[in-house]
Amino acid sequence: MATFWDIIHLLTGTPLLFVAIIGLTWGILGGALPGISASITMALVLPFTYTMDPAMAIALLACVYIGAEYGGSIPAILIRTPGTNSSAATVIDGYELNRQGRAGEALGISLMSGVIGSLFGLAMLVLLTEPLSWLALAFTPPSYFGLGILGLSVIASMTGGSLVKGLSSAVIGLMIATVGTDPISGVNRYTFDIPDLLNGVEPVLVMVGLFALTELMSQSGSSNVTQLKEAVRIRLPSLAMMNKLKRSQFIGCVLGLFEGLTPGGGGSIAAFMSYNEARRWSSTPEKFGKGSEEGVAAPEAANNTVASTALIPMLSFGIPSSNSTAVLLGGLLMHGLLPGPRLFEQNPQVIDSLYVGSFIAIIAQIAVGVVILPAAIWLVNRPRPYRAGFIFALILSGIYTLNNSQIDLGIALFLGLVGYLMRRAGFPFLPMILGVVLGHMVESSYRRSLVLSGDDMMIFLQDPICVGLLLTAAGFVIFSLTRELRDARKAKLEEAHP
Amino acid sequence: MNKDGLSGLVLLALAAIYYWATGLIPDSTLEDEVGATGLPRALTFALAGLGVILLVRGVLAGRQAAPKAARAADDEEQDATLPRAIGFLLFGLAYVLILPYAGYLISVGLLIAAVALYEGAPRRWTVPVAAVGGAVLYWAIFVKLLGVNQPAGLLEGLI
Amino acid sequence: MQLRAGLLYLAGAVAGAVGLSAAVMADPAPYPHKVVTLVTHSSPGGGSDVFLRELSKYLGRYIGATFVVENVQGGSGAKAMARTAAAPADGTVFYATTPTYIYTSLLSKPSKTYKDLEPLVNVFTDTEVVFTRTDGPFKTLQDVIDHAKKERGKWGAANPASLERQAAEQLKRAAGVNAAIVTHEGGGDMMLNVLNGTLDIGIGEIQELRSQLEAGKVRLLATFNPERIPEKPDVPTVKESGFNVQLVKFRGLAGPKGIPENVTKIWDEAVQKVLADPEYKKAYTEEVLVPQFIAHKDYPTFIDDFATKTESFLKETGAIK
Repeated sequence: MATFWDIIHLLTGTPLLFVAIIGLTWGILGGALPGISASITMALVLPFTYTMDPAMAIALLACVYIGAEYGGSIPAILIRTPGTNSSAATVIDGYELNRQGRAGEALGISLMSGVIGSLFGLAMLVLLTEPLSWLALAFTPPSYFGLGILGLSVIASMTGGSLVKGLSSAVIGLMIATVGTDPISGVNRYTFDIPDLLNGVEPVLVMVGLFALTELMSQSGSSNVTQLKEAVRIRLPSLAMMNKLKRSQFIGCVLGLFEGLTPGGGGSIAAFMSYNEARRWSSTPEKFGKGSEEGVAAPEAANNTVASTALIPMLSFGIPSSNSTAVLLGGLLMHGLLPGPRLFEQNPQVIDSLYVGSFIAIIAQIAVGVVILPAAIWLVNRPRPYRAGFIFALILSGIYTLNNSQIDLGIALFLGLVGYLMRRAGFPFLPMILGVVLGHMVESSYRRSLVLSGDDMMIFLQDPICVGLLLTAAGFVIFSLTRELRDARKAKLEEAHP
Repeated sequence: MNKDGLSGLVLLALAAIYYWATGLIPDSTLEDEVGATGLPRALTFALAGLGVILLVRGVLAGRQAAPKAARAADDEEQDATLPRAIGFLLFGLAYVLILPYAGYLISVGLLIAAVALYEGAPRRWTVPVAAVGGAVLYWAIFVKLLGVNQPAGLLEGLI
Repeated sequence: MQLRAGLLYLAGAVAGAVGLSAAVMADPAPYPHKVVTLVTHSSPGGGSDVFLRELSKYLGRYIGATFVVENVQGGSGAKAMARTAAAPADGTVFYATTPTYIYTSLLSKPSKTYKDLEPLVNVFTDTEVVFTRTDGPFKTLQDVIDHAKKERGKWGAANPASLERQAAEQLKRAAGVNAAIVTHEGGGDMMLNVLNGTLDIGIGEIQELRSQLEAGKVRLLATFNPERIPEKPDVPTVKESGFNVQLVKFRGLAGPKGIPENVTKIWDEAVQKVLADPEYKKAYTEEVLVPQFIAHKDYPTFIDDFATKTESFLKETGAIK
C-alpha cells in the first residue's frame, strides 16, 4: 500500500490529474452519444494508451468508464434516448421530468446521484476487494438462473396496468433475445444466414428504437410538445432534496455493488432493479413514472456504482464481468500486466493510480457536468423541426458505430415502428426491454445447469443462492400483483363515485 | 374490431411466424435435453395464449360498449397519426438505402434537411445552413474524432 | 464497431518508428509499399488485436514498411474477411487468421469465406490446455477420466461452437466416458466455474489462465498441443496421456487472392527472422505462444486441411448440412 505522501504526489502530479479529466470528459461524450456504449468508448482510446505509461493508461481507461456510465443519462433525460444500456431505466422518470420543464433538476439529480454511486463503488473497490471477490466466485450456473429470474420479476410491476399486454411485451422481448448463436449447442437461430445477426440483436437497438424513435414519430407534426419552459439551467439538488433522495440512492448503491460483482450482470439490470426497489420503499410510489426525483436517483446511483465494483472480479481474477471491463483487461494485457493478487503486490503504482485517478474523475465529474450540461440543454431547446432532424441523424449515426451495419439501422427503424404501434395499442415498453436484456442469461444458465446435473431439476433447489433469489422473485411478483390489483380496484371505485 | 382484438390477432400472427422460423433451426447432436428450440417453443405457446386472451377480450368488449374505447385515448390525442409517423420513418429508411452510395456526409445532411422540412421548418436559408453545418459537425465527431468507419461514398478519396 | 486506420495510424506509426530506430543493425528488407494494414476481427485488446500489435512492433525491423492495425469487428469475422477480400492483392492488406474465420465461414454464409482469401504465412500456435483447480481432487488427466468413468464428468468448454468444444467432444469419445460438456460465454465465465468447483476441468487457451496460474489457483493437467510446451516441460500432452486428440490453434496472416511472389518471399523471410528476434522471443515466450512458422507454399494446404476436418466435425454433429 502506498504511503500518504505517495498519494499526495499522485493527486497533485499533473499527468494523472490531466489524464483523469481528459478520460472523464471523453467518457461523458462517448456515453452521451446514443449507441456508443461504455465499452466502445473505452475501446476507441485503447490504441492511444499503447504508448503511455501503464499506470496512466489504466487510470485513463477507468476514468473513461466512469464518464461513460454517467454520460448515458444525459440524452436519456433530454431526448428520451438512453446513451448506454444501463441508462434505460433513467429514461422513465428523467424524460418525464424534462417534459414537465424540469430538465435542469433531473440532470442535477442524476449528476449528484452518479457521484454518490461512484464514490461508494470506489470505496468498496479500495477497501473490500478481497472479501467481495469471493462472493463473485460463489455464483454457479443455477445462481445466475435465479438472478435472471429475479430481474424478470421486475416486469410484474411494470405492466402499465394490463397484465396480459405486459406479459406479451416480455415474451416478444425474450423472443428477440433468442436471435443469434445458441448458447449451448452453437447452432444458429433466426439468423437467416445474415452474418450481422450471428451475435444477436444488441439491446441498445431495442432501447433506441422503442424509446427514442417512437417518441420522434409520435411527436411528428406536432407543435412544440416538449418545448422547455423559459431558460432552463442546470440545478444541483438542494440539501433537503438530497436528504429526500437518500433512501433511493442507498438502494441503488447496494444493488449496483452486487450486480457489478457478478459477471454477466452489469449496469442495466442493476438500474432497473433499483428503480423498482426505490419505488417499493418510497413514501410517494405513485409519483414513479410521472416524474419522480427518486426514479432518477436510484438507477443513476446503481449504474455508476457498477462502474467501480465491476473492477473487483476483473482485478482479482482477471475475469471481466462486462464488455467494458473486458476492454480494461485488454489494456492491462497490452502493457504486459496480469490481473490477480500478484498485480497488487508487483505493480502497486498501477493500482494506486487507478484508485486516485478514479477519485479525481468522480470529483471532477461535478465540475465538468456543470460546464457541459447547460450547453446540452441549450442544444435540445432549438426549434422543434431542427431538433427532430438532428436527433434522428444522431441516432442513426450512433447505432452505426456498434457494428458498422446497415442491418442494425434497419432493425432500429423497424423497432421504432413496432414501438409506435405498441404505444397506440397500450403495450408497455419496459417488459420488452427487460426480456431482451435478460433472455440470454436466463436461458443459457437454465440449460447449463441442467447439462451439469444431467437434467435433474433438483440442482436449482440445491443451490442456496438460487433458492434465495427465486424466493425473493416470488415475493416481488406477489407483492406487485396485489398492489396492481388494489390500485385497479381503487381506480374503479373512484370512477364509480367521483 | 377494437384495439385489443386487433392486438390479439397481431400477436397470433407473430407467434405463427416465430413458430415457422423455429422450424428452420438445425438439429445438433451437441444439443442438451432442452435444446435450441426448447425456449422458443415455450415462448410461441405463451404468445399465442396471450393473443387468444386479448382477442377474446377485444371481441367481448366490442359487444358490450363502445364509449369506453373512445375515452381511453386522452394520452394519445397529441400523437401523430399512423401515416404521418410512417412518413417520418421513411426518411430514415431512405437514409439507410443511400448511405453506402452517397456517403455519410451527404446522407446525413440530406436527412437533417428533409426531416426539418417535414416537421415544418420555414423554407428559408436556415434549412440548408443547418443541414450543411449539422453534417459537418456530425462528420467531425463520428468520423474524425471517434474514428468510426462511416461510408465515404461519392466523396471517397476527397475527404 | 470499426476503427478507421487514421485513428490508429498514430499508434502504428509510433510502433513503426520504435522498430526502425532499433533496426539500424538489422537492415529491413525493402518493401514495395509504405504502409501495410493488418486487419483483425477482434476488438482492441482482444486476442488477435494484441497479437498484431505486438507483431507489428517488431516487424518494422525486418520489413521496410509502417504497420497499421485495423479492427473490423462484426459478424464474427465475416466483415473482416469481406474487407480483406475486397482489398488490392498487392501486399498492402492482410488479415489475422485464427480458427474463428474457418468456423464463421462454415457456420453462417458470409459473402466472403476463407476460400476467398489466400493464406500467407503462419506465425504461432496458441496453447490449448486441460486445467483444474489446484485444491481440487484431480492430479492428472487420468484422474479426471477415471472419475468420469465411475460417476459423471463435468467438463467446461469456453464457447459453444469452437475448437475447444471440438476437443472436449473428441476427448470424451477417445476415452469412452460419460461427461457433461458445459459451454460458456468465453474463458472468464468458465474460469469461475472451474475455480468454484462446479466443473471438474476446463478446456481453454493458456493465455486466459495466466493470472490464475501465477496465483497458483489452477493446475495444468495436459496440453492438446502436438508437443509439450517448452516453458512447462512437466505438463504432458493429451496424446502422451493415452488419448489421441490434438489441436493446433493457428495464428497467421492471409491476404486477398493473387499476392505477388516478391511480396510472399519477403514475408517468408521476415517472419522467420522476427520469430528469432530475441526481444520478441522474450515477449511471446512469456505469453506462452509457440512459434510455428509455416511458409507460404505450405500454408494453404494446412488451412484447407484444417477446414476439411472442421467441416466434417460440424456435419457429424448436425450443426451444418
